[in-house]
Amino acid sequence: MTTMAVARQPRPLSQVLAQWGIVLGIVGAFIGFVVGAQIGEHLVPADANSTGSNAALIIGYVGSAIGFLAGMGFFNYPIARLMGRPRPTEWDEAFLYGEEGGWKRYFRLNVDHKAVGMQYLVTIIAFLMLGGLGAMFIRAELLQPEPSFASAESYLTVVGLHSVIMIFMASAAIIGPLGNYFVPIMIGSRSMAFPRLEALTFWLLPPAALILLSSIFLGGFPTGWTGYAPLADEAVRGMDGYLVAFTLVGISISLSGLNMIATVLTRRAPGLRMTQIPIFVWSVFVTSVLGLLAPPVLLAVLVMEMLDRIGHATFFVPAGGGTPYLWENLFWVFGHPEVYIFILPAFGVMLEMLPVFARKPLWGYRVAVGGMVGVGVLSWFVWQHHLFVSGIAPSLRPFYMFSTEAISIPTSIVYLVAIGTLWKCRARFTVPMLFIMGFLFNFLIGGFTGVFLSDVPSDFALHASYFVQAHFHYTIMGAEVFGLVGAITFYLPRMTGHVLNERLGKIQFWWMFISFNGTFLSLLALGILGMPRRVVTYDPGLQGLNVSASLFAFALGGSMLFFLFILVKDTIVTPVRARVVNVWDSLGNEWRLPSPIPIHNFTTPPTDWALPYDYDRDDHRTAVPGGGMALPEGVTE
Amino acid sequence: MSATRRLVYTLGAIWLVLAVIGSFVIAILPFPPGAASNVAGSVTDTIRLLTWAAWPVFSLTIIGVIGAVLVRRSDPDAAAAPARELRGNPRLASTWIGVVGAVVLALAIVGTITLGNDDAAQALGLGGRTISGDNGNVIGGALDEGGYLPVQVIAQQWQFTYRYPTLGGFESAHLVLPNNTNVQFHITSLDVTHSFWLIALGVKGDAVPLHDNVFLATTQQLGTYRSVCGELCGLWHGAMDDNSMQVVSAGDFDTWVAQEKVLDAPIMKYLPPYSTTYVPDPAAYGS
Repeated sequence: MTTMAVARQPRPLSQVLAQWGIVLGIVGAFIGFVVGAQIGEHLVPADANSTGSNAALIIGYVGSAIGFLAGMGFFNYPIARLMGRPRPTEWDEAFLYGEEGGWKRYFRLNVDHKAVGMQYLVTIIAFLMLGGLGAMFIRAELLQPEPSFASAESYLTVVGLHSVIMIFMASAAIIGPLGNYFVPIMIGSRSMAFPRLEALTFWLLPPAALILLSSIFLGGFPTGWTGYAPLADEAVRGMDGYLVAFTLVGISISLSGLNMIATVLTRRAPGLRMTQIPIFVWSVFVTSVLGLLAPPVLLAVLVMEMLDRIGHATFFVPAGGGTPYLWENLFWVFGHPEVYIFILPAFGVMLEMLPVFARKPLWGYRVAVGGMVGVGVLSWFVWQHHLFVSGIAPSLRPFYMFSTEAISIPTSIVYLVAIGTLWKCRARFTVPMLFIMGFLFNFLIGGFTGVFLSDVPSDFALHASYFVQAHFHYTIMGAEVFGLVGAITFYLPRMTGHVLNERLGKIQFWWMFISFNGTFLSLLALGILGMPRRVVTYDPGLQGLNVSASLFAFALGGSMLFFLFILVKDTIVTPVRARVVNVWDSLGNEWRLPSPIPIHNFTTPPTDWALPYDYDRDDHRTAVPGGGMALPEGVTE
Repeated sequence: MSATRRLVYTLGAIWLVLAVIGSFVIAILPFPPGAASNVAGSVTDTIRLLTWAAWPVFSLTIIGVIGAVLVRRSDPDAAAAPARELRGNPRLASTWIGVVGAVVLALAIVGTITLGNDDAAQALGLGGRTISGDNGNVIGGALDEGGYLPVQVIAQQWQFTYRYPTLGGFESAHLVLPNNTNVQFHITSLDVTHSFWLIALGVKGDAVPLHDNVFLATTQQLGTYRSVCGELCGLWHGAMDDNSMQVVSAGDFDTWVAQEKVLDAPIMKYLPPYSTTYVPDPAAYGS
């Protein structure tokens, strides 16, 4: 099974152990949890009137995450270097990059950016399906205006889990799989700037998800993803899972941002200027700046909440001298750049795919970059639009109203660029192109509904209603997840060599598009009529629209299962191999490499850099004879 | 006329028809929350105004995308197309940014006027309103100097109660308001953050412990309305609703107040004295 080129002499114990990556990680997590829980129990014993010590649980969770990473082998290299041990051998390096191939390399520490991209892809899809299951539960319960099959407690737990798992998914949905996989290739680099850090950003996600899910057994958490205090202060122990899991994901986003910034700035191939990198790389770069800077605020506020829960620090409890506004402000200082962390890579990947199917150069590359940078800058100045009715000083509101409305200026540039690129094109309506069109339609509704929420007077009626909920689902699901499904269809042939069925894909698109809009148009209407979010009981007069939303939502869930079916069928059950490398006839550099892409991408990176959108040039037609790109030498189908 | 031009004119005509029909529909659509209070009236006006402004731009963008896809290259040789059609047109881009910027600025100015300046808002036919975080003034007499009836909304898990400080300070589980009255809602909480939301009256303000959140509204219509909680506050957040909130005539209100005073008389001595905020029980927090 393993075809190692390097000789297999008797290996030191560390090399034998390294092959058991995830198993050792799980063992380490258990040990870490027990040790952490003991320390916590010792530091702050449980109150007489509580079910257990919060300190034991929080420190236990942190210990399990550290134990997991230790078992995976993340600390071997830094500790060995600190102790002056010899540098890693050739075998170590080859092993670290997964050169032996096979599926096992995905279940241990692997620093090949393409392996990390694949790990992210599978995990993101798992999160999406898990979160979607929660959505189905919520919509099934809301068929009735009173609690039916679920208790109020389990309903609230599922609302919280659905939202947080989807936030985890959305934070990395495009930048995780596609950013890690393609950014180094697109800029002609042999790896990321910090390969071990890159693996770490991924391996923080599985423990985070498990810690979050463990809160089910501890009563769940009642706050939804926003975790508002002081509700979080009085919550049962399930809340601790939310705090630690979100901390791990925050660290992951921040480190990933750091790594991407360093990679784009320092690892570009010689001669490649920032004005020549693909638009997707620009979107990843801007996102990474937000990703580096926003989560530290979240980490601070989460640690404050942990201290509230462990030691009655009362940061957020008014009776103890704290204030709930502290949580609300700090959380949204993170929270609003966070939603642009979701959407900017989706803009990027959409604009990256558009010229391929329009068969025209990207219209207005520079203005598109300017638009994304503008969104990134403005995203720091809008957070208090979440707090218009909270009781902030009235004199602050006009500024946040204006800054929020102003963000539609750079955002609208995306539409200008899309229309400019489509103008007089000869579009090929493949599956990814359909998803681009769906993206443009859905995000337009998402954007316009946002204007109603940014305007203070109308926000009085719509804040905290289903209108808000439908608005952000239009942007995150309607744009980011539509972009993700389109991008998976587009890039899968490059990542694994498999092509997804075109006809089934088109059925899936229309199924998903219609049921998505049915669901969330119903919810927009419910919001205007005054249905608050996150309720298990509601006005019986609103049952009709709720039933409509639920039925469409079940259809939407079905469409996502259908996507999973297509994916599994065409890659695993009856794999459909791409007959050419460049199945979409793209000019992108990522399509010029042989298939499968070698571990270190390039022996010598290309030097003829230009924006990869010259679909109008004559020599491009000769370079791509008969619709498929000529295969590199020595590569057969 | 070239095929491209014909298509542009056709789509432009379709857009014009859509925009005009849409404007009429939006003008007559019964947007919530309605006109039960001056605030509800101006909120409804704002939503209508925004919808009215948004629809033409929304439909134009959709038609723009469809049109861009439909317009065919007359010459199959793309290289012959001018660069501004292929790689970007700075003048078009700056015009676009300018137009969107102007629309945004106009919206922000209208919103700010609606919000900030009561006189200007009244002149536009829109009610001014304020939510103030630091309004802790003591209110005396039946109505204070501004002619407002103060009503304290006290949120706790999981119900709202209402105190009428100028009417003897009694507390009721139901909200009853006299019609054609300026009401000064003082919203506060005893435990976690809630949000008091009177849907039909357009009133919404967070209830934050140890914080007095003030919202002004003038009742305009008799009726029975719904109030809910707008901020997730725990298990029975959705059950903090009340379908029996009433706006009644002045005479009926006086009768109700008299009844409530009789009902409340035995428990008045247990009620804490009226205050803009109440210190919550610290034992409720932490593990």
